[in-house]
Amino acid sequence: MTWLSRLLPGAHPPVALSPDVQAMLHAWQQAADTDLDTLHSETRYVIVNTEATGLDLSKDRLLSVAGIAIEGGLINPRLAFCQALDPDPADALAKLLTFIGKSPVVVFNAAFNKRVLLNAFEHVLDIEPACQWVDLYWLLPGLFAERNHNAAKLAEWMAAMKIETFQRHHALGDAYAIAQLFLAAQARARMLGHRTPRALIELEHTRQRLQRAP
Amino acid sequence: MTTATDTLVGASTDFLKRFSPFDQMEPDALAFLAERVLLGFFSKGSTILSAEMGQPRYFYIIQRGKVQANQSGDVALTEYATMTLGPGECFPIGAISAGRPSTNTYMALEDSFCFQLPADDFLELMRISAVFHVFCTQYIASLLSQSRQQLQTTFSQRAAEQQTMTTPLGHLIKRDPVFVTPETSTRSALEKMDELRIGCMVVADADSRPVGILTQSDLLSRIVLPAFDLNRPIADVMTASPQVLPMTATAYDAALEMATHARRHLLVVDADDKLRGVVSERDLFSLQRIGLRQIRASIEGADDIESLQRASRDIRQLALNLIAQGIGAEQLTRFISALNDALTRRIITLELSRHELFGVPFCWLAFGSEGRHEQTLSTDQDNGIIFTPPEGQHDALKQKLLAFAKDANEALAACGFPLCKGNIMASNPDLCLTLDEWKRRFGAWIREPDPQALLNASIFFDFRVLYGSEKIGDQLRRWLLDYARGNSTFLRMMAHNALTVAPPLGRFRDFVVEDDGMIDLKKSGARLFVDVARILSLRAGVEASSTVQRLRQAGQRSNVPAEELNAITDGFHFIQLLRLRSQHLDTEHDAPGDNKIDPDTLNELDRRILKEAFRQARKLQLRLKLDYQL
Repeated sequence: MTWLSRLLPGAHPPVALSPDVQAMLHAWQQAADTDLDTLHSETRYVIVNTEATGLDLSKDRLLSVAGIAIEGGLINPRLAFCQALDPDPADALAKLLTFIGKSPVVVFNAAFNKRVLLNAFEHVLDIEPACQWVDLYWLLPGLFAERNHNAAKLAEWMAAMKIETFQRHHALGDAYAIAQLFLAAQARARMLGHRTPRALIELEHTRQRLQRAP
Repeated sequence: MTTATDTLVGASTDFLKRFSPFDQMEPDALAFLAERVLLGFFSKGSTILSAEMGQPRYFYIIQRGKVQANQSGDVALTEYATMTLGPGECFPIGAISAGRPSTNTYMALEDSFCFQLPADDFLELMRISAVFHVFCTQYIASLLSQSRQQLQTTFSQRAAEQQTMTTPLGHLIKRDPVFVTPETSTRSALEKMDELRIGCMVVADADSRPVGILTQSDLLSRIVLPAFDLNRPIADVMTASPQVLPMTATAYDAALEMATHARRHLLVVDADDKLRGVVSERDLFSLQRIGLRQIRASIEGADDIESLQRASRDIRQLALNLIAQGIGAEQLTRFISALNDALTRRIITLELSRHELFGVPFCWLAFGSEGRHEQTLSTDQDNGIIFTPPEGQHDALKQKLLAFAKDANEALAACGFPLCKGNIMASNPDLCLTLDEWKRRFGAWIREPDPQALLNASIFFDFRVLYGSEKIGDQLRRWLLDYARGNSTFLRMMAHNALTVAPPLGRFRDFVVEDDGMIDLKKSGARLFVDVARILSLRAGVEASSTVQRLRQAGQRSNVPAEELNAITDGFHFIQLLRLRSQHLDTEHDAPGDNKIDPDTLNELDRRILKEAFRQARKLQLRLKLDYQL
């Protein structure tokens, strides 16, 4: 089953999920929502990243998904997740959702990553999870305004912050870079007085509105 | 473990492998480390760790960025004031090993990422990885040598007062002169001072002839407060016509000049008035008046008590100088012991020339700490005599020897070895005995080890021959070793006795102190090592009388690992060093060295090392306890 076929209208087959997957989804729905007013150091964030055949939502296929949790402002290698969609996309996505829990989700470039994930959740799992999203694409320029460069791509931010990862263009490899960027962003946000997930989300939205204003 | 975790751990492993000691680490230990490190971020300027944060929760390995270590507190513990650490370097090793707050403040010099290993995992890593253990131990050992260097600075001030004041200034100049020309901007002159870390800047003309000077103490009144324009030439702000002295002038001239004109720096010029260097107050304090050889020669050549008294004072001075030079306790006590031996031998020789004892086979014994070569600077004399009388002349000869010994004891007292309050002196008829009489005495103590006998054994069994026939002494030593070895009840009683004093380590506080808040470094420090060493040597048949030699030789015979022996002897040496140091500080006030220290006055590093030294004593005692099932 290709990704493309899932996007076509009418190509929306009735979802037949395995009991395991159903149990995971059920547990996820039962979990308590995250309090957005906790301090960063007390908040569990999950960095989520995807790997697809390309960046065109209408054509490209999702290949794998990765997540890295940040707890207490630290990256712990034990709290990491990565799985290819083949051969069992429902299993991969349900496990990702379980890994995320109700934690705020940090992505770089939500326009693609968030979209592609939400589509996948909807088509494969028939679920529209209401996650709290933080997009570093918007947040970083807001936090590091003084750098005043036009960094937009992940590679540019990595170079600017001297961040490296073990493998680029790999779901987990890029997630590791994004996680490190987020640590720097967290520290910076704390200095600027943005101490909670809610503050980050609001800062990001303000930034988006500013950018889109004529 | 998920594959994602494997991948991230692999990335950390690859990073760690690029740096020592991780590149040498056992694969299992490296895996243990890589699986447990957490990655954290520190913004430029933020504090990562400081003393106020208490016991460190993590061990940090810098992944990216720069971290600066600054010493906190008043006391400089290490030779550096600040130190910059980069990727692969780690901290705080000493504090986390000892479970104490860090003595340094660690600050991120730039945005930095650090791998953080929780403290418990750090300790576990030390346990499972020999490589990492050695790495940390060596680091802590380097702290030990730094502590010695710190001791050196404490004493350099005092040692300074005894250097020769007749040294020509030319010999005191340490580096090529630094100077600027009069038209140099004040700013660049100050920058140069800062860069070279010098306290004054000389201004000289094109021919290197000094025309002025600007010192640090001028900065406030001439530059800062009047808001002097730093772009103006230094000639506008310098002191013109500075004080100069020729290269041939002496340190004494310089000191006089400095005192008269309240200067801290003097310019030294050659015959052409060209600047050759700057002599500061501190430079005057770096030579020593007395050398080891000089004292030796003056002892050997001394013909009367007065010259020996002088030599005795010189020995004290030398000891002070040697501490100032950062010499270790082992060498220091050896020097003191060697010179005291030479002095004692000379006194005996002088006294012998006044008594008719030619051809009498006898030897002069030293007991106690002198017998062990472990004299400190306030040791009483403890001595005795073994003699071999010709048939029928026992009593007459003994009377002669006692008369001689009395004079020798008095002479020693005049030369700074106080008379023994317990009368353990050769002039005591009970301690001037034939070989057989000594054997009977020693034998009685061994057969019936009552408390007094055990106390006696702890003093007399540490004997060595200081003057006269070594052969007689050797006979007594071999007999003693044979006899004691075969008497396990005696050794067991000695062991029991040795364990009555425990190292003053607290369960809740670092140290258990006496009522006056002090720790007695002799009674509850050095003696713990000395007592165990004596038992081990008697049991193993070791002839040496010094504690360290006894521990080493007895330890080797029972296959104690070398590192363990080194750790024990290091602990003993450190306590000895602290004893010598407190005695020195005490002699400043003319108080007798009483071996007591207040642990609260020790700096962090010394406290840490002292604690470790006491732990070694405890280990040694535990070994004895197990051996004798006590």
